[in-house]
Amino acid sequence: MKLETRKIPESEPEMVEIRYHWITDEIQEIISFVKSRQGQLSATRDGKRFEVPVVDLFYAESVDDRLFLYTASDSYEIRMKLYELEDLLKHKSFLRVSKSMIVNLMKITSVRPALNGRFSAILKNGEEIIISRKYVPALKQILKGGES
Amino acid sequence: MTGQKWKELLIHTIRLYTLLVTLITVLMMLLGNLLDRGRVFSYDAFVSPLVYALIGTVATVITRSDKELSAWSLIIRKAVSLMLIEGAVILIALNADTIPTEKSWVIPGLALGVFVVFVLTHIILYLIDKKEAEKLNADLFRYQEKQMNEQAAERQAGK
Repeated sequence: MKLETRKIPESEPEMVEIRYHWITDEIQEIISFVKSRQGQLSATRDGKRFEVPVVDLFYAESVDDRLFLYTASDSYEIRMKLYELEDLLKHKSFLRVSKSMIVNLMKITSVRPALNGRFSAILKNGEEIIISRKYVPALKQILKGGES
Repeated sequence: MTGQKWKELLIHTIRLYTLLVTLITVLMMLLGNLLDRGRVFSYDAFVSPLVYALIGTVATVITRSDKELSAWSLIIRKAVSLMLIEGAVILIALNADTIPTEKSWVIPGLALGVFVVFVLTHIILYLIDKKEAEKLNADLFRYQEKQMNEQAAERQAGK
């Protein structure tokens, strides 16, 4: 695929144009990446494609090599690896809280101790997720204003 | 195991060991005063809480898991840990000249004492975690407020 970049005057709006013959997996990946940078994620539910705003996302969980996004009441599947999504959303208040999950810190109502030194987070939709003790230091650091 | 995990394990172990030494010393003082008041010990007796706490700490650390355990797996692990501690303490008591195991109440008393210390340790560790959760909640509230203010400012600037 040929890549072309062009410097433009500040008076013109910045844009990304993708010219394609067919929407292949590769093209779809590029589209998803650009949309995620704009605050949206391309995901599917019941075979239909949806644009999920990142701000609506509660958490993302990897189950059997498939990645699912959860909003207040819906779930979607996204064709991405958890670490890729984590990397994409790390500056948008998302944090890894267990081996298979990243959570939106803006959607946590409170944190309470769970068994065995772990913590659980109560989300704004009433769901409860586990924060592994391994990730608690990173959580403390980010809440104190540092990067995880 | 990463450096962070080693550090966390070390902190957990030191905290547990210190807590166990304290609780065992208090328990020995209480049980001794209640049940065997007239007994006189040498300075060696000061070592016993340290040894018992070491047994408790080792049994807890070796049964600790970094995996996401279900509530049942966790209870089973804790039960195994308690049995290991009970077994080790009773074995030491049976071989120690200073502990009057010939008296009928000593072994059940020891077993009960170990159980009480085990439960108390978990309650205290839970309370420490609860305090930590309160701190996390305060930090989380501040973080969310700051993020919302920043987003509002960005929207304002974009208008």
